[in-house]
Amino acid sequence: MKIDAVAQLLAQLDREAYVGDPAIATSLHLAAQLRKPLLVEGHAGVGKTEIAKVLARVLGTDLIRLQCYEGLDASTALYEWNYPRQLLHIRLQEGTATEAQIFSEQFLLKRPLLQAIAHGGRAPVLLVDEIDRSDEEFEAFLLEVLSDFQVSVPEIGTIRAIERPHVILTSNRSRELSDALRRRCLYLWIDYPPFEKELSIVRRKVPGASEELAAQIVGLVQQLRRGKLAKVPGVAETLDWAAALVSLHAAHLSREIVEETMGCFLKDESDFRKVKAEIESGQLPLAGGAA
Amino acid sequence: MSGLVERTVSFCRALRARGLLVTTSHASDAVRALRCVGVERRDRAYWALRSVLAARPEDFETFDELFGQMFAPPEPERREHGRQTVRSQRKIPDPGAPVASLVSWGRAGEGESGNDEPEGVPGASDQPALAEKDFKSFGWEELAEIERIAARIARRLAARPSRRWKAARRGARVDLRRTMRGAPANAGEMLDLRFRRRKTRKTRIVALCDVSGSMDLYSRLLLQFLYALQGSVARVESFVFATELRRVTEALRAREYAGALRDLAAEVNDWSGGTRIGACLESFNAEWGRLVDRRTVVVILSDGWDTGDPSLLAGELQSLRKRSRRLVWLNPLLGSPGYEPLTLGMQAALPHLNVFAPAHNLASLRALERHLL
Repeated sequence: MKIDAVAQLLAQLDREAYVGDPAIATSLHLAAQLRKPLLVEGHAGVGKTEIAKVLARVLGTDLIRLQCYEGLDASTALYEWNYPRQLLHIRLQEGTATEAQIFSEQFLLKRPLLQAIAHGGRAPVLLVDEIDRSDEEFEAFLLEVLSDFQVSVPEIGTIRAIERPHVILTSNRSRELSDALRRRCLYLWIDYPPFEKELSIVRRKVPGASEELAAQIVGLVQQLRRGKLAKVPGVAETLDWAAALVSLHAAHLSREIVEETMGCFLKDESDFRKVKAEIESGQLPLAGGAA
Repeated sequence: MSGLVERTVSFCRALRARGLLVTTSHASDAVRALRCVGVERRDRAYWALRSVLAARPEDFETFDELFGQMFAPPEPERREHGRQTVRSQRKIPDPGAPVASLVSWGRAGEGESGNDEPEGVPGASDQPALAEKDFKSFGWEELAEIERIAARIARRLAARPSRRWKAARRGARVDLRRTMRGAPANAGEMLDLRFRRRKTRKTRIVALCDVSGSMDLYSRLLLQFLYALQGSVARVESFVFATELRRVTEALRAREYAGALRDLAAEVNDWSGGTRIGACLESFNAEWGRLVDRRTVVVILSDGWDTGDPSLLAGELQSLRKRSRRLVWLNPLLGSPGYEPLTLGMQAALPHLNVFAPAHNLASLRALERHLL
């Protein structure tokens, strides 16, 4: 009988306190097996970044993170020469420094992509976070790196990955990614979790919350997601709120306590007013919980 | 195993025929993926294939449909499972909110609307268009999508790298010239690196939105678009016009959309019917002409039903075009199949426009990005 690798991975994720589902586990398993980058998309706060962190722990390897932003370029993502140090070196050697010395690895600043490629030992997990924030030029550049996992530094030569890193890219869909990039990646969409899943996430991450409280919190958040909010609370917000309520020793939700702690899961002033009004008018039942 | 390969390949082919991004290498990946997870369990195979073959959430529905057809008659439970995932990633629209008018609006462009609407139109159906006036009738999903498009465009507008460089404390390139100028202070050594970076070119937008009766259904959505655009970059100036021109930049800026709209609607409803585009542009040029310079894209959203003098309209457009970076006219009617811009107003306007484009559905809003940059 064949071992069910996906089930095994699910259990491992669970041990790392990550509540996954078959879709997540299958994608991660395939990404590791086929050695393809995994593109993870979903709303803010559903645990996209967390996946990479957990995967690194499961594989017992390092996590290298590249946070993307508009204007990110090769010198911040790949490598750069440490010019001041080079100049200092030349000065100290009083003219005897050779070119080979100056352009050696000790003067090379390795940025995340090069770190991942030059990483010795077990293949690391490379997290390219919020790729949609970078511009198209960078995306094209990244594509090149991801296809051969080698980098040419003109002064040194070509650096090749001994073991291909596990690559996870995340995107909030603020920009449509190129087809070329999508083609190269496995794809995983993470949605807001259904009630049961979110409840078990709260149980795992905020063990201090009573069963009743956890169910009420999740129930309310799930209900809010169905409404028309400017900033829809993610799982991260649910957890923040649960932790806040636990530290306030709340055993269950009440109108006062919800209003006092609303800032944990509402991040927009108009949402604030709206939800407050709904609670006061009784449109939003607090004890609705699992119902 | 060969049966599996064949079936997978024809599955890939079917997906590609339906417009999914599936190449030959995907087919071989799909086979490898199936070997990895095994084919004993249908749900495992489902997740594995979806992860390889569907590249965006909009693909899931087609994927599910074809997967159901190609791979073994679905056990009801499994089928349900796959469905539910697809469903649940759409926000469930408020059951109390009729979406009919919006649906038909979103569909107005037929043909292209199919896979161009990522989040899908909730409850899309063949219901006839209703000139529903209440904003509540707008599908939440569409509004969110409009905002998303606006935010995307705004971001690109706000951060376009210019070809010019400027000195900066930190930047993309070392500014060798300034670095060397600093060398004498360090006994001839270039210890202090100076940088330079590309300047950001800021495009400004002036939008003039027709809110007369004939534009009713569209102008509300286009205003929403302007509202979202304005929320992201400060450099949008918005005006509405019918028989008079009114600046609404402030109104759209500070408050939440519903409130802004209510005020606007109250005001605009007092206006008499008809549209005097030429006269409105004249007063724009006279009062607000200073807002337009070579970096400004002027966008006019109107169907071109002008009850005023066409030559006045032509003259004002010409003057606008001379001073602006680009003059864009978005006409929602352009999206309907048989439409030709034959109205006097439109005829007078056409020679003076840089861009004349449709704005009747989400796809055309998306295409707007091109015209504005």
